[in-house]
Amino acid sequence: MKILRYLIIIIALACGLNACTKLDLAPMNIIQDNDVFSTNGGIQIYMARMYSELPIEDFRYSPQRGLNMFWIISPFPAVTGEALSRDQRGAMTEAVLYWGDAYKLIRETNYFLQALPKYAANFEAADVDSWIGEAHFIRAFTYFSLAKRYGGVPIVSDVLQYPTDNVTSLDVPRASEEKTYDFIAADLDTAIAKMSGSNQQGRATKYAAAAFKSRAMLYAGSIAKYNQVSLFDDSHNRLCGLPPEKANTYFKAAYDAAVLLDGQFSLYKKAWAAGDKEAQYQNYVKLFFDGDSPENIFVKQYSYPQSVHGYDAYMVPLQCMGPNGYSSEVSPTLNYVEMFDGLPKNPDGTIQNLDGSGKYILYDNTMDIFAGAEPRLRATVILPGDNFKGQSIEIRRGIYTGSAAGGISPLIPAGSTIQYPTTNIVQSANGSQTPYTLPNGTKMNPAGASGTFFSEETCSQTGFFIRKYLDESLDKSQVKENNEDQTWIEIRYAEVLLNKAEAAYELFSAGQTGANYQQEAFTAINLVRERAGADLLATAADLSDLKIIQKERRKELGFENKIWWDLKRWRILDKEQNNSLYRVMMPFYVAENYKYFFDVRKDEKNRFYNFDPKWYYEQIPTDEINKSHSLKQNPGY
Amino acid sequence: MRKLLYTFVTLAVIATVSCSKLDNFPQPNATLTGRVVDAGGGKTTIQTETGGGGTRVKLEEISWSDNPTPFYFYSMQDGTFNNTKLFASTNMISVEGAFVPLVQYDNAGNITVDKRQKVVLGGSAQNITFEVEPFLRVEWVSDPVVNADSTITVQARFSRGTSNPDFQNDVSDLFLYLNTVPYVGNNNYDNRYSRQVTYSGSAGNALLGQTIVLTTTGKLPPKRSYWLRIGARTTYGLKQYNYTDIKKITLP
Repeated sequence: MKILRYLIIIIALACGLNACTKLDLAPMNIIQDNDVFSTNGGIQIYMARMYSELPIEDFRYSPQRGLNMFWIISPFPAVTGEALSRDQRGAMTEAVLYWGDAYKLIRETNYFLQALPKYAANFEAADVDSWIGEAHFIRAFTYFSLAKRYGGVPIVSDVLQYPTDNVTSLDVPRASEEKTYDFIAADLDTAIAKMSGSNQQGRATKYAAAAFKSRAMLYAGSIAKYNQVSLFDDSHNRLCGLPPEKANTYFKAAYDAAVLLDGQFSLYKKAWAAGDKEAQYQNYVKLFFDGDSPENIFVKQYSYPQSVHGYDAYMVPLQCMGPNGYSSEVSPTLNYVEMFDGLPKNPDGTIQNLDGSGKYILYDNTMDIFAGAEPRLRATVILPGDNFKGQSIEIRRGIYTGSAAGGISPLIPAGSTIQYPTTNIVQSANGSQTPYTLPNGTKMNPAGASGTFFSEETCSQTGFFIRKYLDESLDKSQVKENNEDQTWIEIRYAEVLLNKAEAAYELFSAGQTGANYQQEAFTAINLVRERAGADLLATAADLSDLKIIQKERRKELGFENKIWWDLKRWRILDKEQNNSLYRVMMPFYVAENYKYFFDVRKDEKNRFYNFDPKWYYEQIPTDEINKSHSLKQNPGY
Repeated sequence: MRKLLYTFVTLAVIATVSCSKLDNFPQPNATLTGRVVDAGGGKTTIQTETGGGGTRVKLEEISWSDNPTPFYFYSMQDGTFNNTKLFASTNMISVEGAFVPLVQYDNAGNITVDKRQKVVLGGSAQNITFEVEPFLRVEWVSDPVVNADSTITVQARFSRGTSNPDFQNDVSDLFLYLNTVPYVGNNNYDNRYSRQVTYSGSAGNALLGQTIVLTTTGKLPPKRSYWLRIGARTTYGLKQYNYTDIKKITLP
């Protein structure tokens, strides 16, 4: 009996004690706010996640497959006219639409901004400020990625609560495009004010925010000035288009933001020497590989094996192809190459390949025609016969076996899209070639080691390859997908100078007086040109047309995934890609006298480019439209 | 054996259940037909192309919501439209294309013009006509002529279809389209033979009302039929083309 009593007491005590344990616990298997927001390490992890989701169009972006996708065939430069590619047959707009991931990241920034102040006592006040600035930068970066695609988008600046009774509060309508850009500007102003001038590599600084602001505001200014499309919702918000009278406000904001970087950064000139084309070329190549470059403002780093890309595997010339295939994905067009200085030109600006009597000009080597080219061209594009990885990159379309006496007339009529004739020309269908015996008995393959073949498309499609960002020190055995780790430079000082020049020129041509805008634009352009080894503008008055700045931008920022957006904001892409064929330059070898000539023609594969004007504003994903009662689609979709 | 029986019974039950009709709504059977005509030019239909670059009909179903997600379908290339599989509903219907918009806004986002038509679908087929002002009227001046060098020459003319200066943008392109099937337009043409003329700035405006002679490019293979059409466009909005009707020509 006694035992029973004890037992009851013990059970009662045991149950009673147990009942005192609090059951309402935070789940132990989920990391809580106070785990993250109590140490610097926690903050760093949170930041790492946000940065990894940042919509940077880098080595892992293509319009066909979207952001953060290793497989970048259908490469971006082959959409803009910078290049042609065997995997891109014409103009396109983005096939993977960036929307849902943006709002995920925006929520993360909002959550961070809401939670951090509660835990501010754990940290130095200066650190807290800087992190808040960083979160604003990330949010602005994300909103700009949306705005440049869609115009006005829903602005969510707080953490939306769900589940909730009030579902309609989650259905945020699109804000006007003007409000969206103003929101971006305000976020960046906060970021500039709160961050300091230095941070861990790969993270934003005050200056990254200022540089980014110059980019975003320039975009807004161009839209205010050049956009033709308008869309209103029922509440009088202009979802597409900005008021033209605000153009100068935005250009001024872009200019002022760019000025903040004066004296803080400089163009990379560590290996540069005045008047030395070889040094200027080497310098321009190195600028993309120097981790301590004074030009780098905001970068995205890669590191083998955790975080990698396959840029070299896709882009190297055929003869440098790695063990797993690919190569030759991007072939720069002649239209792009012709923009550069120092080439023999016809009066209309096209490259001169014919002499006064309409016969081909003959050269001993394929590089001879480029002897005077501006060094930046060689550093951006691999020219036929130029050295890369210790070998001459051999690009040849075929061997001309006819008579060269009295000169060689063009193989096909000017402007024609027909195939090359087969008489007097030997050519190769693919890489397994039958050598042709030259008159002196030596043998030569009809096509070069890197093409161009008339059937197989893994070769140079245009007579050129891309050079920018290719890692010359990467061994051939390592040229593989998901094996490269070059740093992507998202914002460099050259872009800021170009932003400044363009904003200043727009302000000058609109009659604005606040600074000597014409002189500022002139100085900025010449700084970029001097480093590139291009011809300088003689006087500020020579900067008489926006086209000069546009061209400089295309040359300097080519193949950096920026040009498509520029062509879009200038609203000129539908004119450039209006039933258009890009031009190529094919080297031929003349058997009789052992010389080369170049045939200039329209793309042999007849890739017509047509940019649909409705693509200036991209389609909002239809499932988002269907989910929402208030989301309005852009015009034409 | 018994197990087998149970299995069959279970299957039979499942099979019977699956016979029950869940889709108990009537099928869409309302019909909407109509055409888009030129308000000024003798009420001819406004020629267009099929698909994204052409005229489309916009239905905003207001039976149950003031703010519906619009439903679109495209018109045929002759400017008529026909959809026999619509649900019975009340709609605000408008058309979008290479003509002065039916709904216009001022700079503050107020609706200044609203020519949408309220239509109740269901029952008998609804036939509606939209009278609109095309940006450009493109016309044949004479019939196409086959030249000795196997090209085709046409004479055409384009003029403003609207007197509203807000919609008189610069003429940017003139295009002689040629195709080997009767579907021809900017979405569907043979780029080996079609001829495009582009005008920069306002240069194209000087040619308004003038007779323009266009010739196809390349050498056309003989003994077959071709379909020709001329399109022109201005820089307004989505820069859609206005078209002539289609002419067929057979090469000897």
